[in-house]
Amino acid sequence: MAEPRSNRRHWAGRKERGSFILMKFTAAIARRLGRRVLAPLLYVIVFYFYASDRRGRYSIRQYQTRLSCWSGRAELMPRHRSVFGQFMAFAECLLDRLDVWSGKLSLEQVQLDDPADVRSRLLQSRGSGRGQILVCTHLGNLDVCRAMAELGEQVPLNVLVHTHHVGHYNRLLGEAGEHRMRLIQVSELDTALMMDLSQRIERGEWLAIAGDRVPLHGGRCVQVDFLGQTAAMPQGPWLMAGLLRCPVNLIFCLKVDGRYTIHLEPYIEDHSWERGQRDATIQRWAQGYADRLAQRCLQAPQQWFNFYPYWQAPATETEHAR
Amino acid sequence: MNDLQKDIAQLIIDTLSLEDIEASEITPALPLFGEGLGLDSIDALELALALQKRYDIQIASDSRDARQHFANVESLAAFVEAQRTACAS
Repeated sequence: MAEPRSNRRHWAGRKERGSFILMKFTAAIARRLGRRVLAPLLYVIVFYFYASDRRGRYSIRQYQTRLSCWSGRAELMPRHRSVFGQFMAFAECLLDRLDVWSGKLSLEQVQLDDPADVRSRLLQSRGSGRGQILVCTHLGNLDVCRAMAELGEQVPLNVLVHTHHVGHYNRLLGEAGEHRMRLIQVSELDTALMMDLSQRIERGEWLAIAGDRVPLHGGRCVQVDFLGQTAAMPQGPWLMAGLLRCPVNLIFCLKVDGRYTIHLEPYIEDHSWERGQRDATIQRWAQGYADRLAQRCLQAPQQWFNFYPYWQAPATETEHAR
Repeated sequence: MNDLQKDIAQLIIDTLSLEDIEASEITPALPLFGEGLGLDSIDALELALALQKRYDIQIASDSRDARQHFANVESLAAFVEAQRTACAS
């Protein structure tokens, strides 16, 4: 990597915030004494993160402003309370993830919103048939989706992640008893990786990949309109759909009124592309996804967990934001 | 141009829908990328997947290595041949 470490402002290069010790401490209290005991303390801990993370506050404020302007809903404009609320929601989300992996949050407690019956396709591919792609997002709780697919259905699910950002949190997951998830670290789509993924699809395995975070070094992005402004989104999921010739489904897991609902929807059925139209096809798929994502943001406005300036071009990110 | 080379040239045309050229025009030494046939990195991935299906080959996770195999039809044919021998033995 040519650029100095201190200048890296990409989310993936961002050191996981605060202290691992504090997270570990919080997780331990949650485990030993329960979430109710933790509740007042959680405010203090989250306030520490909130107060010390200027860039995070700025990013959330920006997101809330865009969401409010785009939707025309004035009540969504950022206030101190709503920005703090988003930090709180993230802390809750992390604790829920620990609950999922330790089995405290079970499949029965999660509602399924699946009008097109994507679930039965998931189940079918266990025995025979090809796998498909699930595009997930950092809106809502990623891990509930993953956990439900793995634990509830026993579907072989490969989760593609961008490099080492998962570090500390994976250690916590390990301590919470989770060793099953197959994480595949991806920094770029190379030949060997695509061949491996293609074989997995043929075996009936599914691939989960986030559709809302651009890869390292700003590689392979596409500019889309998201909440009324131009943002960079990854090409990865859409390239994979075209290359592997497999259908794509969207998965969102949102917590509304204290309850999780997993929303499953088919997204790309016709995954063929013409060589000359490839860029245009990727653009169309990415834009359509951004539009779906924007709609889902309105369902759970505080669960947008991308705590970095989202509308900034990845290559031109500078130091000033923090 | 041997049979395997012809076969691969045809596979390239079919996979990438290059309708305006004939298999015989893709000579063994013609560079597939850049100034030769002008393929890009996504074409390379499409091609790799098609080769994998057709000849059941594997490419180790060393991208520099892969780039050499994909230089032209000749190197691709040699690579497929080598993989077959490795599998047979």
